[in-house]
Formats: sequence, C-alpha cells, structure tokens
Amino acid sequence: MNRLTLRPALAALAVGLLAVALAACGSSEDAPAGAKKLSFKITDAGCIPHDASAPAGPITVEAENDGSSSVTEIEVLDGETILGEKENVTDGLSGSFSLTLEEGEYTLRCNGGDQEDGTLKVTGKLASKSSPEVETAIDNYRGYLEKNTAELVARTRPFVAAVVAGNVAQAKSQYAAARIPYERIEPVAESFGDLDPRIDARENDVPKSEFGGFHRIEKALWEEGTAKGMAPVAKQLQADVEELQSKVKNVKLQAVQIANGANELLGEVSASKITGEEERYSHIDLVDFKANVEGAEVAFKSIEPLLSKNDPKLAKEIEADFENVYAALEPYERGDGFVSYEDLTRSDTRKLAQTIDILAEKLSQVPAQIVAGEGG
Amino acid sequence: MTPITRRRLLASAGIGAAGIGLGATGYLVGQDAAEANGEGTGSVPFYGEHQAGIDTPAQDRLHFAAFDLLTEDPGELREMMREWSKAAAEMTAGEMIGDVNDEELAPPDDTGETVGLLPSSLTVTFGFGPSLFEKRGLGLAARRPAALKPLPPLPGDELNGLESGGDICVQACSDDPQVAFHAVRNLARIGRGTVAMRWSQLGFGRTSSTSRSQDTPRNLMGMKDGTANIRAEDTEAMRRFVWLGSGDGPAWIVGGSYMVTRRIRMLLEVWDRASLEDQEQTIGRHKYSGAPLGASEEFDPLDLDAEKNGQPTIPANAHVRLASAQVNGERILRRGYSFTDGVDESLGELEAGLFFICFQRDPAKQFIPIQQRLGSMDALNEYIKHVGSAVFAIPPGAKSGGYVGEGLLG
Repeated sequence: MNRLTLRPALAALAVGLLAVALAACGSSEDAPAGAKKLSFKITDAGCIPHDASAPAGPITVEAENDGSSSVTEIEVLDGETILGEKENVTDGLSGSFSLTLEEGEYTLRCNGGDQEDGTLKVTGKLASKSSPEVETAIDNYRGYLEKNTAELVARTRPFVAAVVAGNVAQAKSQYAAARIPYERIEPVAESFGDLDPRIDARENDVPKSEFGGFHRIEKALWEEGTAKGMAPVAKQLQADVEELQSKVKNVKLQAVQIANGANELLGEVSASKITGEEERYSHIDLVDFKANVEGAEVAFKSIEPLLSKNDPKLAKEIEADFENVYAALEPYERGDGFVSYEDLTRSDTRKLAQTIDILAEKLSQVPAQIVAGEGG
Repeated sequence: MTPITRRRLLASAGIGAAGIGLGATGYLVGQDAAEANGEGTGSVPFYGEHQAGIDTPAQDRLHFAAFDLLTEDPGELREMMREWSKAAAEMTAGEMIGDVNDEELAPPDDTGETVGLLPSSLTVTFGFGPSLFEKRGLGLAARRPAALKPLPPLPGDELNGLESGGDICVQACSDDPQVAFHAVRNLARIGRGTVAMRWSQLGFGRTSSTSRSQDTPRNLMGMKDGTANIRAEDTEAMRRFVWLGSGDGPAWIVGGSYMVTRRIRMLLEVWDRASLEDQEQTIGRHKYSGAPLGASEEFDPLDLDAEKNGQPTIPANAHVRLASAQVNGERILRRGYSFTDGVDESLGELEAGLFFICFQRDPAKQFIPIQQRLGSMDALNEYIKHVGSAVFAIPPGAKSGGYVGEGLLG
C-alpha cells in the first residue's frame, strides 16, 4: 500500500463517513471525476488569489509557481491540520492535489508568502451516494442485524417467562440461547447509548442500583440459586431487547462502521470472553466467544467484496484465520454448547487468545483498505 | 517513502495540532530541533559484519523475548525475518517503523510509544534455537550447526519449561526501557501469526561491562559483576572465545556466535541476612571495592594459590574461583541484566535476580563445563536457583538491505 494513494481518501474521511462513497480519487495527482477545480498562482505575495470558494464535495487544487523562489508550497488546512498539500512547486512548475471537503471555512496557505494565509470557503451539503457494492454490503449486514434482534426478542421471551415463574432450572436452560443473538451484534447495540448497559452490563460496570439485564439475572440464577425478586428485572430486559429491535430497523450503517464492528467483536472476545469475565456466574463464556466470532465473520463477509477489490490476499488470509478460530474452539464444543470456562486450563486460554489475536491483527487492516478500495 | 524520524516528528508537532497527520512531508516543516542541538546520536548501526548487541557496550536496559514458530513454511519464516530486520533497522535509527502511520482508519504500523525518544543505543539481536531445526517442514536439519544443542541437565537446575527454550529469540537492549520494550512489542506484532511469544524478560540494570569505557556495575547482591569479563576492545579474546570463524560450523553461522540465557532467581531475603564476611567468602571478592579477597584493587589479578593461616585466601568453593578462566581455561562474554518481576506468588518474596546472557563459540566447551563446575560446587548456590534456560545460534549481521538469517534461510 502506497501511503500517498490513501491520503486523499482519508482527508475525505475526516469530514465524515460518507467518504466511503466519495473518496473517488486514486492519488493526489489524479483529479477525481466531477471535482471542482480551483487554480492558483504561487507568488512571493502568497497564493493568488488569496481567497477562494467552492461547493462541498471533491475539489482539485491546481497551482503554478509564477516566479517565486521562496514560496514553493500550497496547502489546505482545517485549523492547523493539513488536509491536502503540494510541495516543491518551484519556479516554472505546477502541481495539483485533490481532497473532499464539507461545508466550512478552511485555510489556504502558501507557506512563506507575504500574505501567507487566505480563506477557502466551502458551502452546501455533501451529496451522498453509495456505490452498488456498498449498498449490497450494507443491505446484507442489515439483514443479519434484523434477523438476530428478532431472534433475541423471541429467545428472551421464554427465558423471561421462566424467571417470572420462578423456575430456576428452566431459566438456566434458556439463558445461553438468548445470549447468542445479542453477542453476535453487540457493537450495534452499543451505539444506542444506555441500551447496552441496561441489557448487558456486568456488576462492576454500573452503579449497584442500575445493575440489571442479563447478568443480574445470571447472578441470581447461578450464584443466589433463586429467581426471587427478578421478575421486574426480567420484564425490563424484555422491553429493552424489543426497543433494540425497533431501533435497529432505522439504524444508519456505513461500510466502515461494519468493518469496525467486526474488530470490536473480536476486541470483546479478547477483553472479556477469553478471560472468563463476561459470564462469571454461568461460565458460558465460550458460547459468547463463538457468537462474537460469528458476528464478526458475517460483518466481514458483508464487506469482503469491497476489500477483495483492493487486497484479495488479505481477504483470503482473514477467511483462513476465521476457520482457524472455529477449529480452535471445536475441541471444547459439547452438544449445543461448550465446556464451562472453569474447565479451561491456562494453556487452553492462551492458545485461544493467540488465535483470536492473529485474526484480529489482520481484520484491523480492513477499514482503511475498503476505503482505499472505493478509491480504486 | 522518507522515514519519519521520531524526534523530527516531535519537533514538527509543535507547529500545530497536525502531529502525525502531517504525513510524509509535514515533519520536514521547520527546524529539526533534535539535530540542531547535536542530539540524535546514540544510534548503533543495525547492519554490519556481526549483529549488534554482542560487542556493543552493554546498554542499561533489556527486553528479551523467545518465540515459538507457528508455521513450518520456510517462506513465511524468511518473510518475517526480512520484515523484522527492516523494522529493527528503522527502530535502531530512531525512525518510526512501517509506511502507514497517519491514516485515520488504519491502526498505525508503529505503536508510537517512542515518538520523541532518541534511538537510545537500541540494538536488536536475533537468534535461532535448536528446536527450529527440528521442524521438518522448514528443511533446515542439514544446516544445523553441530554445536547448537539443547543444554544438558545441569546441576542446580530448577527449570520452568514455560520460561525456557524457544525457536527464535529477540534481544533488545537500550539505554531507555521504553525503547527496548517498543522493539519487542512491535516485532511481536509484525510476527503475529508466524510466531507466538513463549516467554519474555525485562532487565533493568546491566550486570556486566563489555567495554573498557564502562565501570563495572553491581548486581542485586550488591557485588561488582563482570570484572573479569571479556572486553569488546580485546579483539583477540573476542575472536578466540566469541565470534565464530570459518571451520566453526556451516557458512551461514560464520561471524555469529552462540548465546546462552539463564534466568537466575536470587534468594535475596536469604542473601541479605548473610554476614558481610559470608557474602565476600561466597563470591571471593570484597563487596565494596570488588577486589579479589586478599587484594586491594578491583582489577588486581586473582591469586588462587594465596593462603592465609593454611587456608586458601579465596575459598575452594568461592564463585570467582570456580568461574575463573584460570580454572576453566575458557572464557565467555557475559551480558546479563538484573530483573524483578514483582512478588513470588507462593513465597511472598521478591521475584528478582539475574537474567544471565553469555556469548561464546561453543557452549559445550565454554558455558556448559563452567556451569557444571559452578552448579555442583559454587557456594553461591545457597542463594540462587536457575529457573529458565535457553540456547540460540546467533547468525552474523545483515548487509544493508539484507536480513538476519539470510545465509540460513535465503
């Protein structure tokens, strides 16, 4: 990956995730189709003209050095952050760079000129239009989200009923099944403010009075051996997962978000599943582990066509690494579930953790690559 | 691309919030404060005839790591050694590693904790353990040097398998602990999927001087350690005892050496209760001057025949006597570090000691016989135990643009 090819795409990203669709340029030298062209002369006096304006969207800055030996560089900055620049434009030379800007006032700078800074005023709204591939990726993942939130609602229902009825054995047997669809899509749930803590907080995550959701009930069932007092908690849980289901229907998704979500799921595995912290009373951590990995895999598969265009080798490696994770989990599967976390030795957890790290390291490269892939 | 020099990056960050976001060119903006001040020295070249970190004057800090190889594909190993060498060259020069360090959506190649820090005499030394040559898929069995064998059981060993062995090692030494840590961390990251870290050791104070320009440091027992060590300036001793010449094994190892590491736990609570006289008799030197017993200056010769009241002045079981070249006829280049890893869980005592590192031409003729004698007779054994052990073949240095191990893997 040549870093220069990515920079324009990233400048665009700085203005918002819409960039997945907009970062259409191959390198800073190539003007994207439909870009607004702004032409300047680099002189001892600074950029001529000093000020300019353009509509929001892709912009190409062209500059020609008109006899200056001391001023040879032109930049566009947001505050003091350089969004795009062309250096070493010496006397007689010209150069250009491209970037995508949203509405706002930017600094136009010819370093060392008598008047160094001018203003680049950008007006209007960025048009958002996604490529068909991006639309397909998002649709695929949205389908998965809706399927799992529906399953979450359906599987939470019998669990809640058992808790309300005070049937501890029945509730315990329903618990893992309800956890799976949640763990598959957790990063999306986390995007809705306090919904995730209400559903999934561990005891130490929230003030004692706010401790509710799955893990409060888990504690009652496994540690306290009773469902006493849990009926209101269970009913609230049902309401919360239903709220999640309705919110997910309207969630705005971007390809980069989906890619980041896959990374977050593996981060979840490393941070709380492989350590046995998530399901500290029921010890079904490996159930969550696998659900997180499945969720990450579907997220990855949804955006894989975007990645494959740009880096097919990375895509293949990630596929193989997912298979390795499933293979590493397999010895611990028992029927529909897994062995208790307490049955794992330190060498077991070490091996599982390393398998996840290998996958996660590669998966972390994906978000930048799919943006670059869009730039083609 | 032009490498990003860590100090330059810092200097340029001062001009605005842009920082790393300045990208490939931004760091050139303004004066290079570090260079203008004549700083930025303390860089030890990575490329050369020998790997650095052996005859380099011992730095103050160590981060050592041993890795297990997860693949038997020689191509993957070759590629990793290539990437490791490139990254090591960048880090020793005080540059950020990799190409991708300023992209919003990508994790930076360099983990970043050395931005703004000088090269700090970082050296990165790679080695190959005997187990590497036993991986059939690699096809290296025929190229294994005869001298590269696991150490035999030695008297006094109380080894923990999880702190011993390894297919590949990385020794990172620096005058700044963060620079040494950064090197191992980033190499582990680059190698992820190809290798997994088996064990690692931080060392916080050098316990040997390897150059005449250095004072002899003290180990955690408060004793001067390494007074009789080989000095890098003594090229004849280095040639005779440390560097492998032609005829010392396969061509790929010529210019290299063999490294032995021993994690030696010191029972400091027990040592601290020993009288000064006991401590000095145990080692065979005066505690404060470092002089041999019966002498007055640190570098006075060891007189092993001297007697006092019919008893040897330096006791028969004193550490310096048993370790002495006069007894062994052999010497090793020691390059160890003091360590502490908190509290020993089962005892509630300091988990501390010496991470012993030595270099030699043949462990079977040098370290092993010395340790056989020490392990069975040394008065010091009352206060120490060897809990970790490893041996590695250290390939020669890489040519600029090449990589360490090229002669073996290329």
